[in-house]
Amino acid sequence: MIYDLIIIGGGPAGITAGIYAARKKIKTLLITKDWGGQVTKAIEIENWPGIKKISGMDLMKQMTEHLKNFEIEIKEHKEIIDLDKNGDNFIVNDGEEKYEAKTVIIATGKIPRSLNIPGEDQFKGKGVSICSTCDAPMFKDKDVAVIGGGNAGFGVAQDMVKYAHKVYVLEFFEEMKGDPITKEKLAQSGIVEFITNVAVKEIKGTKFVESLVYEDRKNGKNTEINVGGVFISVGMSAKVGFAEKWVELNNIGEIVIDKDNNTKTPGLFAAGDITDIKYEQIVIACGEGAKAVLAATDYLKTK
Amino acid sequence: MTEQKLKVRVFSTPTCPYCVALKGHLKDHNIEFEDIDVSQDLVAQKEMIERSGQYGVPVADINGEIIVGFNQERINQLLNIN
Repeated sequence: MIYDLIIIGGGPAGITAGIYAARKKIKTLLITKDWGGQVTKAIEIENWPGIKKISGMDLMKQMTEHLKNFEIEIKEHKEIIDLDKNGDNFIVNDGEEKYEAKTVIIATGKIPRSLNIPGEDQFKGKGVSICSTCDAPMFKDKDVAVIGGGNAGFGVAQDMVKYAHKVYVLEFFEEMKGDPITKEKLAQSGIVEFITNVAVKEIKGTKFVESLVYEDRKNGKNTEINVGGVFISVGMSAKVGFAEKWVELNNIGEIVIDKDNNTKTPGLFAAGDITDIKYEQIVIACGEGAKAVLAATDYLKTK
Repeated sequence: MTEQKLKVRVFSTPTCPYCVALKGHLKDHNIEFEDIDVSQDLVAQKEMIERSGQYGVPVADINGEIIVGFNQERINQLLNIN
């Protein structure tokens, strides 16, 4: 069986692509690890036209239900490990099965970047958290560290000052990247200490997190601070490994596309946050997913 | 199906999306549960951390079995939700 189109990803871009493909009646398979992607973590969304306010979880539930209303083949809980070619066609491999298609849309979005340091995985949920809005109340009267001094990190620090005894904000570069006005507010709390130009080396503990080691990037000196919680907020990264051979990446690892969602390989398209499109918004990702299908449909007509 | 009365407790915080999703899932299937806000109830918070061995919410206690996160598959299994 050869599909007209395989869509990889079940976030706003992938789901919208699925809806458009189903309505175009092209033979489509949508493969996804999970539904909703980053959106599911948004507590309130107030910029989705037509709905004044909705949680990310509910919005994605509605989008998924909308998609499943159509006749479209779906494989859930599958992560693509390889993308290859067979002549002009593409072979998509989920580690168990291989699927062949004339066109592919990559819409796998972004995931939180990790530090790749000792202790990070070991203490996940045991003091290491990537969701401060979820877990902040667990750290009442504790000393905690926020890694990442951008606006996201500042947001985490703002969640933490409501509960914690002390909040360290650690930044790799010489300057905090977050807005100065937020920094000032944090400073006014009297419990936030900003530490710049440091590389976090290790998270230590026994059952739970007990301390963190960072290196001063100027003099190479290591410092250990006692903390019960570590919140990692060092941005998002695109995971394109499986398709690397067939796409061009920009300097931050996003897939370079033209205005019609073409990658450098004919028949291979990309949409949403995984691409080098500058603005990352739900409504934009949806638009990009729709565009990618329309471009893929035009491409199929030439075959 | 057992006739035994199920005891379900959910440890959560008001601001966590997965907690809202987990509780919504139980409500959708008419499962009664004790809703414990660990941002307010610090005794329950301590119990949750000790029994689950971790700090993250949500945590569900279904007849004594601790389930960390919104693990829909395991929850459905334990509650006979199809």
